[in-house]
This record gives sequence, structure tokens and C-alpha cells, in this order.
Amino acid sequence: MRRIAGLTRRTALRGGSTVAATALSGALSGAWIRNARAGANGTLTVALSDNPLTCDPINMTSHDTMIISQSIWENLLEFDVDGTLKPQLAKALPEISADKLVYTFELRDDVAFHNGKPLAAEDVKYSFEYMLDPQNKASRRPIFDRLSHVEIDGPHRLRVILKEPYSPWVFFQTKHMGIWPKGSRHEFGDDYFKLSPKGVGTGPGMFEEWKPNDYVSLVRNPNYWQKGKPAWDRLVVKYVPEDASRVAYLLSGQIDLMGAPPPRDFTSLKKRSGIDGDTRGTFGGWTALLLNSKRPPFDDVNFRRAIAHAVDRETITKRIFYGLVERSAIPAPASSWWFNPEADKSLAYDLDKAKHYLKQSKYAQGASFELMTSAVPYLLDTKDCVVFLQSEFAKLGIDVKLRLADAAVINPAMFRGTYDAMFRHLMSPGEPTYFLSQNFLPNQFMSEVGGYRNPKIDELLKVVFAENDEKKLKPVYDQMMQLLADESPYVWVGYFNATNLWRKRVAGFKPSRGLTINVHDATLG
Amino acid sequence: MTSLLLRRLGFSLFSLVVVSLLLFVLTRSIPESPARIVLGDDATAAQIAAFDRDHGLDQPIVVQYAAWLERVVLAGDLGQSFTTGLSMNRQIADTFPVTMELVVVAFVVASMLSIVLGTLSAFYRDSPIDYFARLLAVLGVSIPGFWLALVLILTFAVDLDWFPPGGFVPLSEGLGPHLLSIALPCFCLAVFYLAVITRMTRSSLLEVLNQDYMRTARASGLGRGRLLMYAMRNALLPVVTIAGVSFGHMFGWALIIEQIFNIGGMSRALLTAINQRDYFMVQTVVMVFTIVFVLANLLADLVNAWLNPRLAAVAS
Repeated sequence: MRRIAGLTRRTALRGGSTVAATALSGALSGAWIRNARAGANGTLTVALSDNPLTCDPINMTSHDTMIISQSIWENLLEFDVDGTLKPQLAKALPEISADKLVYTFELRDDVAFHNGKPLAAEDVKYSFEYMLDPQNKASRRPIFDRLSHVEIDGPHRLRVILKEPYSPWVFFQTKHMGIWPKGSRHEFGDDYFKLSPKGVGTGPGMFEEWKPNDYVSLVRNPNYWQKGKPAWDRLVVKYVPEDASRVAYLLSGQIDLMGAPPPRDFTSLKKRSGIDGDTRGTFGGWTALLLNSKRPPFDDVNFRRAIAHAVDRETITKRIFYGLVERSAIPAPASSWWFNPEADKSLAYDLDKAKHYLKQSKYAQGASFELMTSAVPYLLDTKDCVVFLQSEFAKLGIDVKLRLADAAVINPAMFRGTYDAMFRHLMSPGEPTYFLSQNFLPNQFMSEVGGYRNPKIDELLKVVFAENDEKKLKPVYDQMMQLLADESPYVWVGYFNATNLWRKRVAGFKPSRGLTINVHDATLG
Repeated sequence: MTSLLLRRLGFSLFSLVVVSLLLFVLTRSIPESPARIVLGDDATAAQIAAFDRDHGLDQPIVVQYAAWLERVVLAGDLGQSFTTGLSMNRQIADTFPVTMELVVVAFVVASMLSIVLGTLSAFYRDSPIDYFARLLAVLGVSIPGFWLALVLILTFAVDLDWFPPGGFVPLSEGLGPHLLSIALPCFCLAVFYLAVITRMTRSSLLEVLNQDYMRTARASGLGRGRLLMYAMRNALLPVVTIAGVSFGHMFGWALIIEQIFNIGGMSRALLTAINQRDYFMVQTVVMVFTIVFVLANLLADLVNAWLNPRLAAVAS
């Protein structure tokens, strides 16, 4: 055997193999991989199924990616994780004038922007004026149309003046607004707020970096006014569109928290060691069958009632959506204060009643319609559900043609009202009026969706807008819910939950009843 | 050879112009304005009209195409994404090298292994190595790539914790993490083409080995090495053609692989752009893919002409 420097080739190869194997096993060990992710201990990584298009709160369209805007910016009031409206940059809830037209806010005096500038009333006035100016093309401006202007009443005191009573605006600003320094929009421009908003927020996270189609990272705001928060050094919001990949990331420890877990795996995943999870009802997440009342067969109220009684909500919410949708036959979550149990009961699953109403309708001999739903899941996959509905309606002799479409087809059809029926999940701020007014009042951006008009609804909504007291509002909502149950312009199945899974090293986290993940209180073990 | 090169170059250029025009028309034939995505579902008609006007989307398609072509050819400016607002030059510069690396590594691994396996399989026909290679080839073409990727992630990333479950670690962060991050995606990407090229090499080589002149060569006492050299020169012609096409197809497969392994490459950017109706980005990424595809085929033709000078002579 050939010898080199006293070694045989076999010995040299054996030695080399041992060294290579040791190096390889070291390189491939899990510990090495994890250690390779330097600084992971103070980093909270969240994986979302949605890709952020912007950081700017006034143009943020996805409730998932609002985690970014709501970590950078704050508002006068916040909708907390338990679904309570609370002061945020304001010291307290606003004083509301007797005519419900003036909302007076006292601002906190210990808040500073990320650039060090203290927050003042003029910043709030500037922020509202910018958003309300049609020239600035804030996508949500129409929902603030009833706001007139802001008046400054002192360095930390201001009044928001309304054109007409409109109580829900305080909920809308929690999601679709932000407060930025006076002059900053004009100084930096829209693209700055969209792509790299450094120094212009007051929130717990300061913008660090955006790698398109990959992640957005924020770093801890060391001067955050809520002392001791946040508990993380860096927040990385990662885009992981595939369900299976998001789960693999969570199980292998590459992420700490995930949004939109696959419903069928949620229960088993949260039982795995090292993993925790929870699901909580939202106050604004409709799971509903949108019916077009302008088109047959939904132009007949008895036909709509028949459909409403033919929907087995119990099976759908428990078996098809695995309990991640809270059953409700009316536009109110069962856990909300505006829920009317009587109205809900009046639409119980009952095929005999469905047949009775069908006989009374002008489509007693049967009918057919096209049911559209999203081919690409948004929040929860709807495809299994529409197949189930098709089979249920067939029991009544109703022929349903299913049509799967992507967002490019389904959204225009919805906004233009060019559909028969549509099964969708839709999210709104956590209060009752947003969808009701957008769908049933004239001249709203969703006015064409269902084509249903009823002056009584207009009247009741007007009363609602002019009142803030839940006790006084409850009977009005009871009346409205019963009316909607009787008329069934849509068929409500329930309210979808906010559902999250996270690794046990994350503590103090709860899924938010506003849907958007809120990590302000999350700590890392 | 020069004549062949010029003809192929001319045809490639023509293909690119036709594809760019088709892409332009198709991406703008979608009825809904991208403003819906950018401005949100509750954008008013006036806001959408203003958006279209600002971005030139209200102009006739021919005018839009001419402006786009002028900007791309004369200024090298691919434009700006509607949705991210970022320069597409930058997005392509960020994502193209990632996809290219995945595809090149997978292609090199697949080509080298498959030619070796196919050759051994043909030379040792009906031997255990032939059965093994054929079994591998059948499995490779039969196993769906996305399923294989998920199984590999579950086994090697989640259970064994040997590899990361996804993501792309740049080389600048270390060779070890970088190689680990691309190992599984490259393997998944390579498997199908490994199988296809193995089968092609085997059948092509068997056909050549059964030719009269090879029998004569064997009878004349030529050694195995020399025989293989003569046989391979002819047997590789279809293999090179298939490999050239495969290289282009791999960019398509990368769409699934990048999605499952959560790699921010160009295929992933394409899928995201499609979902967001980002016309310019879709058009740009598909154009880049087309250029790669056309170049790969051009290269395959040239290699074939080099391997078999008769092809160049016919072209002349």
C-alpha cells in the first residue's frame, strides 16, 4: 500500500472521513442551526399568510398585516385584545357633547414620536386633516366622511367636530388611522410612509427594514410611553403564504407566533409540546352568504327566508370550520352586547320551515342560482362549506351552481352587485354598524353588494349613530336584528374567530378580538 | 456555425418581441384595475380613475406598450411596482440571483448524476444498477414535487431538525447556513429532472450502442472507455436538448418550490405579483423567465452543433 508521510492511503481516508463526519454532524445539528440565528432570543417572529403592501395605516387593506401599522403608529383610542375601546394616546375616553357632534380629547403628555419630538394636539389635527383631504387618497377616507374638522384647545387638548352624529368613527380610527408628526407627510411623502416610515410613529415598534415578499422588521422603541414595553428587542413580521410551511416554521422554532393556522390541524397542533394556541371570537368578522336581492330568486323575501332556515349553522361552524367560527344567524356575534337571542332563534335550522317559506315564494316549483366563493382562501377556506350548502339546498329542490373565483373576479362582482349569491368571510372594525351601514345604506362603497334597501334600517341606523350608550342602544339593535332576521337580506352563518398558535416561550399573548395580532404585551421566555 | 448562431439569435430576438407584446396585452386585459388592490376594496370610482390616470393605465394599450418598450430598451428601466412601490430593477436584482442559484445548483446536480446513472444503466443493462436507476427514474417522475417537499420538511426540518424548514440564508451569512438553506429546495427541484435525463441518457445510449458502427468498433477491439467516448458524442444530442428545455422549465418548478420553502426568489415574486394583480411585475418576471428559457435553448442548440458538426452544416 502506498505510504505518504508515514500514513497509508486507507488510514488517511479513514481519518479524513472521521473529521468530515464530525464536522458534518456538528453542522447539521439542530442546536447549530438555531445558534446560527444570532440574536433570536430577543426577536419575536410572527408569520402571516398575507403579504404586506404598505406600512401606511391609511392605506392598509389587510387586517393581518395591520400588526405592522398598529405597532408603529397609535391612535387616540385603541380596540384592545379583549374588544374594549380604551384610551391610547388620549388620557381618557372622549367627552361627547350633548348634540353628539363634538368629541373632546385630552392627550397624554408623556408621549414622543420615534424621532424624539413630543406628541402635541397639532400633530393629531395634522394627521386627521391629512387623512380627510381627498387629494391624499386615503383608501378609508369615505368611512370618515362625517368628520368635519379638528380644533385645538390647548397643547394637549383637542376637539373633533362632526358634521352629523356618528358614534362609530371612534372604532374606525383604531384600525384605519395613525398619528404622525405635524408636517411629516409633506416633508417625507407618501412613499416614505408606505415603505420606510422611520421616526414618524409613537408605537412600541420602530421601523427597521422591509424586504419585499419576505419580511418587515421593527425594533423596540426604547422611549415608549408604556414603560417596560415592549418586551421584545425586534419584531419580525414574516410572509409565509403556505399553511404547511407556516406550521413547519412554528414547529421547528423558526417563528414564535403564527396567524391563520389551518383549521383542521389547529386542535392537534396546540396540544403539541412547546406549542400553545387559542381561538377567540371577533366582533367584526362576518361569515355569511351574501344574497343579491335585485336578482331572482333572492328578490322574494320568502325564498330568502327559506334559504336562511335551510342552513345548518351548527354543522358548518363545528364540522366544516372546526369551531373557528362562532355560530350566529344574525349580524351580531353571540358574545356581543348587541346580540339578540330571540332573533337568532327565529332563524333556527329547520327544513320544514324552509319548505313552508319556499312554498309561499314565487319559486315554489324550484329555483337555481349561482353561488360564488373564493378559490384562494381568505382567512378560512370556504370551498368545503359551499359544497355542503349545495347539498343542503338540493333537499329543497334548489339547484346551486358553484363558481370558484379569485380575488380579481370575486371582489369586482361583489362591489358591483353582479352575482346571485356569494359565500364570504369579511372583516370590519369590532362594532356593529360598519357592515350594516356599508351594505344597507345608500351611497356607501358597498351599497351595490346586496341591493337590499329598507327605510326602517336607515332610520334605526340613524338612531344608532346618534347614541353612545350601550344600554340605550340595545333595544334599537334588538329591533334591527329582528328586522334583519325577518327580511334575511343575507344569510349569516357566524362570526369567525381570531386564531393563533405560538411557541411556549411567548407569554402574555392573546388572540385579539379585533383579529389583528397584537404583540404589545407579549413577552419572550 | 456562424450562420446557425445568427439565425438562432434572430429567431430568439423575434420570440422575445412577440412574447413581450403578448404579455403586455394579456396582463392589461384583466378587467379590474390594480387600484382595487392598492387603494383597497372601498376605493371610490374617482380614486380608481385618478390612480389609472397617474399610472398611464387609461391610455390605449399600444401607447402603453410603446412607452414601456422605450423605457426598457433605452433607459434599462423596468418601471415601478404598483403594490410595493419599489423599483422593479431592484426587485429583480434581489430575487433573480436567488432563483438562479437554486436552479443552477439543481440543474448541475441533476445533469451530472443523471448522465452518470443513465450511462451506467445502459452499459450494465438488466443489472442491479440498471434496475436501481430505472426505479429511481420512475419514482422521480411520479412523485409530486410539492408532496416531496412537504415530506422532506416534516422529516428533516421538523422531526430531525437537520435543515431549516424554509427561507433562504444568503452566502454572506456563512457557507454552512447557506448550503443548509438551499439543500432541500435544490434536491426537490432536481429530482424530477434527474429522472427525466437519466431515462433519456439511458435510452439514447442504448440506441447508439446498438448501431452497426458501434458493433464494428467493439469487434475491432476498442476499449470500453474509447467506445463510451464515441457513443456519448452521439447519444448526448437529445440529452442536451432535453437538458436545455429542462433548465427553462426549472424556473417554472421553482414557483412551487419557492412557495413551499418560503424562499423570496423570483418565482415567489411572480406568484405574489399575480395575486396582487401587479401587471408590471408579472410582465417583468415572465419576460426574464422567457429570456432565460430562450437563452438555455440557444445554448443547447449551439452545444448540439458543436457535438455534431452536421447540424451546423445543415443550418449553413
